[in-house]
Amino acid sequence: MTTADLLLQQVINGLSLGAMYALLALGFTLVYGILELINFSHFNVFMLGSFVGLWTLQAMGISGQSVVLYGLPLVGVLLVAFAVVMLFSGVLGVVIERISLRPLRNVKGPAAMITTIGVSYILFNIILLVVGADSKNFPNPLPAVNFAIGGAVLRLRELLIWAVSLLLMATLYVFVQRSRLGKAMRATAQDAEAARMMGVEVDRVIVTAFFLGSALAGAGGLIFGLYYNFTSFIIGFTAGLRAFTAAVLGGIGNIPGAMVGGVLIGLIEAMGGQFIAVEWTDVIIFSILVLVLVFKPAGLFGTLVPNKS
Amino acid sequence: MTKITRRSAAQLFAGAAAATAIGVRITPAHAADKEVTVGINLPFTGADAESATRIKNGAVLALEDANAKHEVKGYKINVMILDDGTATAGQYDPAQAATNARKMASDRSVVAAIGPQMSGSGKAMAPILSQADLATITPSSTNPDITDPKFAAQYRPGGKAVYFRTVTTDAYQGPNMANYFAETLKAKALYVLDDSGAYGVGIADAFQAQAQKKGIKILGRDKLDPKAADYTAVMTKIKSLNPDSLYFGGVMQAGVKVVKQSYDILPNIIKAGGDGVYAPELLSGAGFPAAEGWYATNASPHMTEDTKIEDWVKRYTTKFGVGPDDYAITAYDGALVIIDAIKRVAATGKEVTRSAVRDAIQSSTLNTLQGQIKFDENGDLVSKVVSIFQVKRDTRFPADDMIHNFRYIGVAPQA
Repeated sequence: MTTADLLLQQVINGLSLGAMYALLALGFTLVYGILELINFSHFNVFMLGSFVGLWTLQAMGISGQSVVLYGLPLVGVLLVAFAVVMLFSGVLGVVIERISLRPLRNVKGPAAMITTIGVSYILFNIILLVVGADSKNFPNPLPAVNFAIGGAVLRLRELLIWAVSLLLMATLYVFVQRSRLGKAMRATAQDAEAARMMGVEVDRVIVTAFFLGSALAGAGGLIFGLYYNFTSFIIGFTAGLRAFTAAVLGGIGNIPGAMVGGVLIGLIEAMGGQFIAVEWTDVIIFSILVLVLVFKPAGLFGTLVPNKS
Repeated sequence: MTKITRRSAAQLFAGAAAATAIGVRITPAHAADKEVTVGINLPFTGADAESATRIKNGAVLALEDANAKHEVKGYKINVMILDDGTATAGQYDPAQAATNARKMASDRSVVAAIGPQMSGSGKAMAPILSQADLATITPSSTNPDITDPKFAAQYRPGGKAVYFRTVTTDAYQGPNMANYFAETLKAKALYVLDDSGAYGVGIADAFQAQAQKKGIKILGRDKLDPKAADYTAVMTKIKSLNPDSLYFGGVMQAGVKVVKQSYDILPNIIKAGGDGVYAPELLSGAGFPAAEGWYATNASPHMTEDTKIEDWVKRYTTKFGVGPDDYAITAYDGALVIIDAIKRVAATGKEVTRSAVRDAIQSSTLNTLQGQIKFDENGDLVSKVVSIFQVKRDTRFPADDMIHNFRYIGVAPQA
């Protein structure tokens, strides 16, 4: 393996990681953009998404590493899995908002944020109690197709992650930019009060943000399972914290910022593991975060907005 | 039915208080058995829960037998089960282990304990237990520092040994496996990983030092964050160095990911771990084909396939619905040692206190499933046997069957 191959391989690793962080970061950013709320339950919506993915695949008769599908059955199975997981996670996000956050909508201070931490722990412990604490083997229906690029290897599962993430992010972007509801979301993000006066149904916008953000987190969870072939009740915290960092790095509230932030964090993680040492990964990631925020407090793509209150 | 008014209730209490004060016996004339407690501290929450449960089963089996057979005349042995795994750690949590040690130390009925499973917990518990003069027998924690007289001030401030083991330590487990790497597997270029835990770092250090001494080239060493999901960056780095072998010191939280991701990126090299990967989680969590071919060691003789204990294995399997691993047996053996110690103290007619039980454990010579158990003055097992296994899927049995999917290779060569 030459140095160039190695570098390329680490870029492939980092992009896969980054795509996952980006999907997760979008949920933080969507909700923050509208409610100025950091939604920590998002961590474990992601985790739950991976379990729903596991159960969906098992229900379709795919368990362990021995069932490999090709062609149409593969596409069908993946479509069903993503649809079920995203629908479930989206609805879960809406339910969380309806039950635990809407009653606190007009409460000042950190109450709502603390509530999301509580909800996060509830989800975490439910899964711990229901499925147990050990890592679960996650089925991998993808055939082991590899493409050699020089000395580096690009696997089918990496292509899948990139394709799915890009597709979801592009869809989200178009939705927010072009659709009526998307425009309402942007209007609410700029000024909820003014948007309400212009006839925007703010509640509907908030529900949409929770649905979309959570659905993307669920998709991220399923991708996590397909990529690493395991899942466990604990995966939400590390991934969630890095994705949250990615959202802040890109400028929280800014959709392209979350995507770029996610990819950057993924690349930093891979390169740090290669050139420094893997135990320094967190130090590197968070140092970069601190540096960016010191020089650009709104994040890479964010713009400082005047305080709304 | 008499209505209990506030006044009559007050009279009742006053009467009871008076009766106690003048020493009226309210217990039945033929006094029931006295009760002592044995604590069990293992990580039932987290990545090693399955193996912890198998260990607990072994200990509970011995203690239940002892009660059923009235093994200790005049005494009933209660069990206090504590969990030192936490959801936030995702595996054993030394802070929780210290809390549990204090809980056992402050309960005077606790005369001895079994556990912990993990050395990281052991390091947190040992000083507390030492101050309380409360002996614990670990069936699986192998970090040598805890019983090393060099660190007595740290882990044995009370003076006497309280940390006994029914397994040997990583001072043998690591180096003996390194000998096997050099002599039998002919490894030449090695990469070493650990999971940043007390056990993982210790065994990886011991392995690495001996491997170097044996002339194996060490290409590098990395510490993994057991909670991180992604080790592909480090595996890619390892691949670029062209090693022929990989050693992982650690337990299964990091282990599952190491096994899976090294299979993807480094499919064709020799891979091994210590007793941290001799675990059902390797078979069920990491699964096949990733786990196939992994070497693992155990700091005890291999017993589950021994025909002499066939009946015992059958009894365990029927009772708990899952087969034992060797550390279920060392836990059973540890419980036997404790029961025997309590019995010997009780036989002298003296009160069964924790210091008396500690002294009795120290002087044990007992035949158990693994053979004769004797401890040296530090609490370490006199016999030092390290067994080597290799994962080989036997599809006639369930995937998490430890006995049939870990093929026993033999005793690791002593340095």
